[in-house]
Amino acid sequence: MTRRSRWAAWAVILGAIVWSAVETEVSLGRMIEGLPFMWDFLRRMIPPDLSVLGNALRGAMETIQIAVVGTAVAAVLALPMGFAAARNAAPPWLFYWARSLLNAFRAVDTLVYALFFVAAVGLGPFPGVLAVMVYTATVLAKLYSEAIEAIEPGPVEAVRATGATTLQVLRWGVLPQLVPQFLSFTLYRFETNIRAAAVLGFVGAGGIGFYIQTYLRLLNYPAAATVLLVLIGLVMIVDFASSRLRARLV
Amino acid sequence: MIRVRGLRKDYPGAARALDGVDLDIAPGEFVALIGPSGAGKSTLLRCLNGLVTPTAGEVRIGDDVVTGASPETLRRVRARIGFVFQQFNLQRRLTVIENALLGGLARASRWRSLVGWFEAAEVSRANAILTRVGLEGLADRRVDTLSGGQQQRVAIARALLQEPAVVLADEPMSSLDPALAHTVMESLRRINEEDGITVVTSLHVLELAQAYGRRVIGLSRGRVVHDGPPDSLDTAATARIFGSASR
Repeated sequence: MTRRSRWAAWAVILGAIVWSAVETEVSLGRMIEGLPFMWDFLRRMIPPDLSVLGNALRGAMETIQIAVVGTAVAAVLALPMGFAAARNAAPPWLFYWARSLLNAFRAVDTLVYALFFVAAVGLGPFPGVLAVMVYTATVLAKLYSEAIEAIEPGPVEAVRATGATTLQVLRWGVLPQLVPQFLSFTLYRFETNIRAAAVLGFVGAGGIGFYIQTYLRLLNYPAAATVLLVLIGLVMIVDFASSRLRARLV
Repeated sequence: MIRVRGLRKDYPGAARALDGVDLDIAPGEFVALIGPSGAGKSTLLRCLNGLVTPTAGEVRIGDDVVTGASPETLRRVRARIGFVFQQFNLQRRLTVIENALLGGLARASRWRSLVGWFEAAEVSRANAILTRVGLEGLADRRVDTLSGGQQQRVAIARALLQEPAVVLADEPMSSLDPALAHTVMESLRRINEEDGITVVTSLHVLELAQAYGRRVIGLSRGRVVHDGPPDSLDTAATARIFGSASR
């Protein structure tokens, strides 16, 4: 890149930032004016109302359940999709269609799917499961397909050279390279799905988010605080356990 | 044992890899295949067990014709040919013994082999072979915790578990440092002398070929340009193989 075009690139980036800030009415003054209200908001949460702990735990459990079922079904659905979207495993026409479809579906986030499924099957945790499942399946399929494309051909060739059948080559040449990665990706998505499932309640799709939204709407800040604390604890525990597990896989 | 006639291999967009190779190798021979890189050594070895399909010509192993063989025939032929690769080509996350056991897949019952439930007889056979190649006590170690020299011996163990008539080795020591190269060559010599297994190994180090090969075949630009005992490798022969510029 020439010096002039580098300067031009920086000017464009800076221009985009300034333009976006102006258009979104970013204002330091308004933020400072809002500080007392933020403080007030936090102060009203203290002390948390522990009498709603039962509700909070029930919501947390439902969030975990939504993430577990959604992630598990997605992991299975993503397997054939991952192979279809891998350049070295699928014929070109299939690869092309699978990749395009996955990219299109992945452009929509879990929460948007939740709105769609709530409208389709009604309120409750089930539309939440469906939303987590659809989004996760497309994300995992993309990750799986990249792992499949990065497979080492050498060990596969070596198993074929022993006179193994095609199934045996898949089992002993291909799978040992993929399974640890697939499990690791799936656990990682489970972690992120806990967070995604926590806000599903905002649109009526079950889980701990329902209580956060309800208590905030009722201006019951101490109760909302308890639910938030449970959520923070939940996310921390799941992140810790899952990253410990993942470290042992690779 | 091995009979090659008029073997030719063209890779699209590249120079001809093999250009009319004729070759006969008798049972029990130890053949060193030498030549500069790109001479066609790897391609020739891979044509022998059907990992590469030649453009023209014929390969016979015993009574089986490898070229144009059905998948079943090809599997039967491969089961009798151990192949040792330059990069070892092991499953790094599996253990030493699991890797060795893969050599027995062709004779294992299909469904048991798919779930990884290997027969006790196979396991004890694998253990005996591991001891023989100097890997006793390492059976349950993950392969990626071993040194390069140990990994190549796991690969040799995998080949031996096939109970092969032939072992093909594609530059088996070129990923190893010189001291280890001799231990790998020594293993190949032992299986040749003690088990009567035919060994064909490509080498890019002339000295190793002279030290270990009882027959040296020189390949240059896809053609056999020398074939004889190690002491027949005089200056003229080396020049024919490696070009007069080098050595």
